Amino acid sequence: MENGILFYILATVIVLCSFMVVVALSPIYSALFLAVTMIALSGIFYLLGAHFIAGVQLIVYAGAVIVLFVMVLMLFDLKREVAAFSRGTFSGILKLVCAGALLGLVIGGAERSTEMMTSVRPEALSDANSMSEMKVLAGLLFSKYLLAFEVLGILLLLIAVGVVAVSRVRGGTHAGS
Amino acid sequence: MSLGQDAFEVSVNILKMVLIFLMMVQAVPVLVWVERRGSAFIQNRLGPNRVGPLGLTQLLADAVKFLFKEEFVPDKTNPWVFYLAPIMALIPGALAFGSIPLSAPIRIEEFQWLGSSWGPYNFAFQSFEIGIGIVFVLGISSLGAYSLLMAGWSSNSKYSLLGALRASAQMISYELALGLSLVGMLLIYNTFNFSEMILAQQGPLSFAFGGKTVVVPYLPNWGIFFQPLGAVIFFAAMFAETNRLPFDLPEAEAELVAGYHTEYGGLKMLMFYIGEYGHMMVACALMVTFYFGGYNLPFVEPRVVQELFVGWGFSSNGSSLSTAFLLHVVFLIKVLFLLWIFIWVRWSLPRFRYDQLMDLGWKTMLPWALGNTVLTAVAVLLLRSSWT
Repeated sequence: MENGILFYILATVIVLCSFMVVVALSPIYSALFLAVTMIALSGIFYLLGAHFIAGVQLIVYAGAVIVLFVMVLMLFDLKREVAAFSRGTFSGILKLVCAGALLGLVIGGAERSTEMMTSVRPEALSDANSMSEMKVLAGLLFSKYLLAFEVLGILLLLIAVGVVAVSRVRGGTHAGS
Repeated sequence: MSLGQDAFEVSVNILKMVLIFLMMVQAVPVLVWVERRGSAFIQNRLGPNRVGPLGLTQLLADAVKFLFKEEFVPDKTNPWVFYLAPIMALIPGALAFGSIPLSAPIRIEEFQWLGSSWGPYNFAFQSFEIGIGIVFVLGISSLGAYSLLMAGWSSNSKYSLLGALRASAQMISYELALGLSLVGMLLIYNTFNFSEMILAQQGPLSFAFGGKTVVVPYLPNWGIFFQPLGAVIFFAAMFAETNRLPFDLPEAEAELVAGYHTEYGGLKMLMFYIGEYGHMMVACALMVTFYFGGYNLPFVEPRVVQELFVGWGFSSNGSSLSTAFLLHVVFLIKVLFLLWIFIWVRWSLPRFRYDQLMDLGWKTMLPWALGNTVLTAVAVLLLRSSWT
């Protein structure tokens, strides 16, 4: 009952804030709305019984990634955008087509995943066994999905090294040193 | 995460949330007084001593001053974000403080009242219980960076912006060392939950050693004896997270006027203060919970204390309540001692240079915390397996 009410509140916040991310005229506002979206999303994870993922969502996305976005955005001398969308018949049609395709994708995805919803174990919703859930998660990550896990780690490392290399070549802040 | 089954439990739980929040907010003026008197004591002067006994009512005068100051917003700021920032400064600290158990849970037996029977109840001595305690607190406190960034950016002032950028860079850097220094504790206690962690720290020091249990009777079973390096790194990173000296570069007076809250005044300024001291209290409460046995008396289990009260003729409910309050006082004494260390350090050490700060965070504390994690993992594996 109270979980249902909370879910609808959080879902409304997510929809409204992600809409504002797109239409806000100032990039800083967009980033701050994105942060609210991430926090609400973590709340939804918590309601679904994925406590650890809710916490990690909070630490990684809301607490680190978007803080970095906001920080970088604040370093620029930002002017307000004149309008959120450009106008024109051709681009208007393109936008409608893209929005329709995305909507179809979301509805199709939701419809196909309803079978998964029925298999949610009710005992996973209680606070007491959040630790055993974590053990299951860790067991899967370090056994069945070990390769994917490690490959993702290497991918992130490659990205970090690549960014440093590119910024040096193109005359970034360290050029000439 | 439900409030309770009947009206009594729900109302007690809501009252508890309000009281614990008020406790945190009310402790701030006292801490400001301790800070001012303490700094005066360290610097060989008197400090505020004219208003009331020992200058204690100076706090009331300060509060009145803050309330009646002009509600001032500088021109060309961004008013929405400008007003939102001080509010955001309060929320993470208050939420994090609410999830820390401040004393032993209270057990109320079944009783008759208003013609119907109520109970039995178990009340945890905290605003709300959350299974993933540590992850929740780390996640919530990492949101503190938004308050600084929003304040710095919306003020439309160079000093504020520079302060906010320094602060957020510092917080992100030290969060890594902070999180890693806790991994050792997680490996030892096998839990994320604060209550279980405190339960594991009762009695004298004991640990598994090759299938047997070794007991050291002259040391309490506190985390700091298992994780001395982790405790030191955690404590240092906490100073950086709360932006206190020697890590107070975000508000370095000599360079940045007052950093991210340069343009704030009156009540909004006060809210930043409450946020900062709230963060300090959360930091000290976490330190006590992880490394100093939480609300446990050294060597004595809460059960023993309760039996003592029963022996003095208390009823079952009365002994449970008195035990909880006694252990709460124990918890507060530990927290106040650490808070005094925070103040002591602030008035004893000079500020770091910015590159020294970053070097310390990334090149010293992070590798040591990683090493501590690996060492703990190996030690736990070796000690817990039985050597046959």
